[in-house]
Amino acid sequence: MKDQIAKYAGKLLADRSALAGRIAIAANDDVLLADGDPALVRLAGSVLDRLNCLSLVVASPAVPFADFLVARAPAGDCAIVPRDTETRTFLHDIPFLRANDLEADPAARIAQLLGSRKGVVVEGVGIIASGALTVEQAYINYSSVFHATFVKYLEDLLVEGFRLPGEKEAFAAFRTGWLRPLTAEGLVFRPGPLSNPDEILDEVTTVGRYTVERGLVDSFFGNISCRSGDLIYISQTAASLDELSGCIDPVSFGNTSTTGITASSELAAHRRIFETSDAAVILHGHPKFAVVMSMLCEEEGCPVTDCWKDCPKVRIMGGTPVVAGEIGAGGLAKRVPPVIAGPGRAMVYGHGVFTIGRTGFAEAFNALVEVENWCRTEYFRRLALQGITG
Amino acid sequence: MHGWTGTILKVDLTVGRIWREEIPAELLHAYLGGRGLGVRLMRDYFRLDPFDPEMPLIFAVGPLCGTPAPTAARLAVVSRSPLTGTICDCSAGGRFAWRLKAAGLDALFITGQSPTPVALAIDGDSAELLPADTLWGMEVKESVHALAGHGSVATIGPAGENGVLFANIIMGEGNSVGRGGLGAVMGAKRLKAVTVDGAGIVSLADAERFEHARRDVMRLFSASPVIFGELGIARFGTPALVDLMRQRRMAPTENFRKTVFPASGNYSGPAILRDYQAKNDGCFGCPIQCKKSTPQGEHLPEYESVSHFGALNGISSLAAIVKANTICNDLGMDTITAAATLSAWGEIRGRFPSAEEVPALLRAAAGRYGDGGLLSLGSRRLTEQLGRPDLSMSVKGLELPAYDPRGAYGMALAYCTSNRGGCHLRAYPISHEILRKPVPTDRFSFSGKARIIKIAEDTNAAVDSLVACKFSFLGATLEEYAELLSATTGTEFTPQNLKEIGEQIYLTERWYNCENGFTSADDRLPERFYAEPGSSGEGIEVPPIDRARFAEELQKYYRIRGLTPEGTFSDPTYLVRQP
Repeated sequence: MKDQIAKYAGKLLADRSALAGRIAIAANDDVLLADGDPALVRLAGSVLDRLNCLSLVVASPAVPFADFLVARAPAGDCAIVPRDTETRTFLHDIPFLRANDLEADPAARIAQLLGSRKGVVVEGVGIIASGALTVEQAYINYSSVFHATFVKYLEDLLVEGFRLPGEKEAFAAFRTGWLRPLTAEGLVFRPGPLSNPDEILDEVTTVGRYTVERGLVDSFFGNISCRSGDLIYISQTAASLDELSGCIDPVSFGNTSTTGITASSELAAHRRIFETSDAAVILHGHPKFAVVMSMLCEEEGCPVTDCWKDCPKVRIMGGTPVVAGEIGAGGLAKRVPPVIAGPGRAMVYGHGVFTIGRTGFAEAFNALVEVENWCRTEYFRRLALQGITG
Repeated sequence: MHGWTGTILKVDLTVGRIWREEIPAELLHAYLGGRGLGVRLMRDYFRLDPFDPEMPLIFAVGPLCGTPAPTAARLAVVSRSPLTGTICDCSAGGRFAWRLKAAGLDALFITGQSPTPVALAIDGDSAELLPADTLWGMEVKESVHALAGHGSVATIGPAGENGVLFANIIMGEGNSVGRGGLGAVMGAKRLKAVTVDGAGIVSLADAERFEHARRDVMRLFSASPVIFGELGIARFGTPALVDLMRQRRMAPTENFRKTVFPASGNYSGPAILRDYQAKNDGCFGCPIQCKKSTPQGEHLPEYESVSHFGALNGISSLAAIVKANTICNDLGMDTITAAATLSAWGEIRGRFPSAEEVPALLRAAAGRYGDGGLLSLGSRRLTEQLGRPDLSMSVKGLELPAYDPRGAYGMALAYCTSNRGGCHLRAYPISHEILRKPVPTDRFSFSGKARIIKIAEDTNAAVDSLVACKFSFLGATLEEYAELLSATTGTEFTPQNLKEIGEQIYLTERWYNCENGFTSADDRLPERFYAEPGSSGEGIEVPPIDRARFAEELQKYYRIRGLTPEGTFSDPTYLVRQP
């Protein structure tokens, strides 16, 4: 278990979601194991001791958006309610504790909140997330909260502008320091079409890793597939896109075997896309600016309230169609395939981006990068239009 | 009171007395219902012999039963198992649970022994014992048919009447109260059936909050490939696991001598769908509908049944497997134990039963005649009597289901720590070791498994007390079900305190078992799993389980549970300190 603690502490640094030196991970075997910043380790141990779960991550996010959301929240609010689909589905909401409300030993109160939710924000401390069964699960929940608060803050900023002292400066630092140019430069892709099973498995594994390394996912989630004859090679559900070796299911188009029951929850969407387009490969990630922009809708007087699942329209953003639809059997599989064939890309409301490659993964990966770059540029253009500059 | 009715119906069959009592609200809050309530109600009886007339047979629903909470129209039946001697609870769906709640009852508590066969008929506020001499001897379908018009039926078949140690109670819709032989406890009481009808409605404390939580659950079901995915159990039923277990090389074959059965494709999910035009026939009120039947209404076998009548006995004919399953249902017998006992017997005599022989052997077991006399005792007693106790593939006398422990080490540990014996459902590590939910774990590693199993046992004890179906938790979590419970009852529950309730239930069960003589010596797998490899191949090694590493993790488990190295309680006051 110690190796797991070291591995996921490393991932928090590699994905730049947590500040170096402000990370602690604790795990309960038959004794408590922990590593990281001593003060945070003490807090993690004290919280974990009160919970019936295996692991806990305590870390300060590398960008201060979670704390800003807490500080901007009206008095009386006690939870952040993001609108992105992943959070809506898996986290519901994110409770927070204000710095002023922290007692000398806040562990009991934090444990109480974590008794009901997978992650919390503690102002001035950071994000604290639990893993019921594994250290990896605590890392995933930390990353999900980081992603959710990142997206929510960018959304709110576009509507409300800066409201706190130091917020503008911090945002400028984020823009010039944390954000990096997003490109596919330096990456090597096999030219398609791919037909050799070993080559397919290797290429899917490689490209999965690229999407994580280039920050096109939240945590390490997304999915990826390649068609070859009667088979779809698709990443498994809950698989780390940067560790796909052994986690790719070959699934037959004819459903003659159920071995692929462990395949990605988006198998149905991938299958329909293959059936209705000339796609040879599919890539799906959750790049942050695309998630934010997909939720911006300027239609007035629209009667639809649950836009993420009920919006019947196809909006176009930068040449990319945007459709609604929940995860898995919840509608995404019906709405993405009809719109993706022509442009080779599609955004899903509050969720992420699907792209296709007609031969190999280069086209799909480049499309994913282009969509996110367009969304990033457009986000900052809209911010500037409203006089919000950082 | 929202969610609960606060009422228990007590029946003394010896004197024919029936009366209602209140259940203290604090007991319902502390144990929820279902398994937890049943286990608590066993406190004064757990030492009795399972066939002692005073041994209770308890049917208990949960606070979510009668609401639109997904998969919650279930109940637990609790008593002491005649097969294993352990405390035993069995969860079952069907309309019976829903109607029991509608009759204003949280639980039914049956003691005594009737001088003649009877059926208990509950209709709203009234209840009576009806003569059942004419029903005695009937198979399940006949019995259900004869009781038509009395509401929902829970009945035993000839196996229960004859004291077969793995006899089931069967619901009118075909759902089994399986494992552990509680049908034999019912038969010993000369209680052929219980019927129940009612018109009560369960009120919700906060309907809007409930609906919000219900939608959250449904969204998670949709996002789960195992539930609503194209290859999931909603479409193919639990036989969707056949191909997966074959691919993972952990399908128990020929009494667990091997772990791959080449002909398993004959009874895979797609094969059953194709050959039988399987249609949904799932539990009442369940959106998943994993149970399947033929267009003519014949219930099709679950994964455990197809695999054990198939691979475990070397039978490749789907038709023969379906027939064996139907016979077990008609006679009221547990398919896992029936098939595993046939398999152990087959290995001892050097020949597994052929597809043609199985129906007659099952009938002989239910009737306890010929070879059936031995078969009716389950594999542990059978192998002991034949001088080969090592060939019973069971833990605490409960036959292992169709997940070879050499292919999933959490499963290996969980078989041993399960309070009702070798059961996959207490901790259900298949969810993470095989199905990758909620996150994947390394199936060939013991690292962290003691803690994981402990947490899962606590969680599932709470789930069995709500009562909800385990399959819900291949998508949803206790977060959403705690919301449903809070919205239903008006009392705040969190996932954390549900797990604490689950822990209390688990430890109470363990206490009962320890008091009845169970120790760490009973928390062991059959020797085969430590000595013989599974069927390696296709890049997957299936070695024997490392005995020392297993023992080390078991000791970790005891420490995490606060037990002694012998797996017992150091605090003699544990039970009396519980509510």
